[in-house]
Amino acid sequence: MRYISHEDFGRLLHDLERDYQVYVPCRKNIHRYYRPYAGLTDDVVIGEVRAFEPLKAFFFRARQKVAEGFSPDVVHGEDRPVCIVGAKACDLKAFAILDHVFRGHDYADPYYARAREANLIISADCTYAIDTCFCLALNVDPYPREAFDINLSPLDDGFLVETGSQKGTAIVAGRAALFADAGEQRTRDRNETRRHVIHAVQKNIEQNRIPHQDALEGAVARNYEAEIWADEAQTCVECGACNTICPTCHCFLLYDQKGKAHIERFRIWDACLLKDFARVAGGANPRPKLWMRLRNRFEKKFDFFPKVAGMYACTGCGRCISACPAKIDIRRILKRLVNHA
Amino acid sequence: MRSGMNPYRPIGAEVVDVIAETPTIKTLRLRPDEKINFRPGQFIQLTVPGVGEAPFTPSSPSTWKDCMEVTVMRVGKVTEKVHQLKPGDIVGLRGPYGRGYPLEAFVGKDLIVVGGGCGFAPIRTLMYVLLDQRSRFGKLIFRGGCKSPADLLYGKEMDAWAARRDLDLLITVDQGDAGWRGPVGLVTGILDGIDIDCENGVGILCGPPVMMKFSTRKLLQLGLREENLYLSMEKNMSCGIGKCGHCRLGTYYCCKDGPVFNYTQIKNFPDIWG
Repeated sequence: MRYISHEDFGRLLHDLERDYQVYVPCRKNIHRYYRPYAGLTDDVVIGEVRAFEPLKAFFFRARQKVAEGFSPDVVHGEDRPVCIVGAKACDLKAFAILDHVFRGHDYADPYYARAREANLIISADCTYAIDTCFCLALNVDPYPREAFDINLSPLDDGFLVETGSQKGTAIVAGRAALFADAGEQRTRDRNETRRHVIHAVQKNIEQNRIPHQDALEGAVARNYEAEIWADEAQTCVECGACNTICPTCHCFLLYDQKGKAHIERFRIWDACLLKDFARVAGGANPRPKLWMRLRNRFEKKFDFFPKVAGMYACTGCGRCISACPAKIDIRRILKRLVNHA
Repeated sequence: MRSGMNPYRPIGAEVVDVIAETPTIKTLRLRPDEKINFRPGQFIQLTVPGVGEAPFTPSSPSTWKDCMEVTVMRVGKVTEKVHQLKPGDIVGLRGPYGRGYPLEAFVGKDLIVVGGGCGFAPIRTLMYVLLDQRSRFGKLIFRGGCKSPADLLYGKEMDAWAARRDLDLLITVDQGDAGWRGPVGLVTGILDGIDIDCENGVGILCGPPVMMKFSTRKLLQLGLREENLYLSMEKNMSCGIGKCGHCRLGTYYCCKDGPVFNYTQIKNFPDIWG
């Protein structure tokens, strides 16, 4: 296990800026947002909990030009790849779903595939939990176990450093002077923090009586005709925030607009809560009612993905709970699904 | 990246002919810049530059070398513009996508093909193949329904097919007119009494959702087996490659797993049959 001081960590990021656009989570009021790195200022928070915006935004852009005219070329910009610092385990877990969607099937998405290859992920352990955190219910630990290049465990005097890929290993090996041996005490400190955070998430789960994912099997199908959906959708204002903020939601809309020389095709995030999401030409809508669209979201996450990909498309990050202006709470819905006979 | 690697990019295609089929339906003959090999039942995405993209199933014989036809009903933003296209205009094409009809599963069996309205389009392609290879199949029965005689697609083919002795073809209309000699009523009404080997006969259905639902029910009542029914499902396919999420149908995406489904694949999806 390696260790890096705060000072040397600043040097590392400065160095990485040559090859990457480096983003770090910065605190603003109660939230954390990714900002371009501009030195390790006081608002940079590597630990804490997940950022406001989902990590997918760096890999599956909210708006991306995907074709120009009839040119066969893939429209890659000249930008350097991105290095994201401080990504959390709940976001990394979402890669399993996104990889399944964008790298799987007969066609790979060239934009996502390239971002996955080129981007660098320096993740970090959570150092506490907020009340919407319920990752453990989805078998996600509050510290990264996979899908990172380098992981940081925040300590008082720096970070404990773990590498998770060849790319990460090469970065650490190539800058050996910045790193030192972690020693046993620091490893113990890290484990102690991890235990605290696990305990905090467990407390959330117990207090809210959130079901573990093992109890979710078949729960949506069983309740397909239940009143839960109409009941829960009563306050929904159809903003689609739960979709866009979700680290696993992958649906998108293709639209064309006239460019300078030719037609440009863009891909933008779409949201299945919006009325026209599934509407077909001529106006027929398979999900005309809001509650059907709310049900669809849960069906996709807790019925479709387990069946086609062997995993739930929820990581317990809790973003949709914070984002919903109507206080629709995924934890409450899951609880109702499991408890409803 | 190399050509063909960008799944979102259309290739250019020239409109070479526009055929007005009915007051609301036109068939476009297109000549793509690169050959598009498709199987009956597969679909393509057609781009009207600057307007957008919409999915259509080719309606021409899949054996044509340079051209393909798509039959388009004017129902929305893109199709409105499609109807304004003229020979010489350039459109974009992506595809083909999805799975077509499993023709090998039809060999040696009696076939009942049921079409409704714009659902005639993919069925026309299929019929060309079936008639091309007529001796490979048992009895061939076609039952079609449309609103009125003026809404009947592919009049030329229908006349030619009606004259064939190796094809039992019957069309019904919701509302007849002075010249109409055929049956009037729903397509389910002309499914009664079809002479087919129920044990092995295959049913192929394409049309509006209501027609599909009741025709499927009818064929099952007549004794056809569930696993021998094939349905073309309509969803709003967009990316065509199972990524954008719009056309989910239960545990499938219509674009990559369909649009042709075996009945047993989709019989438990409440959205279709409810």
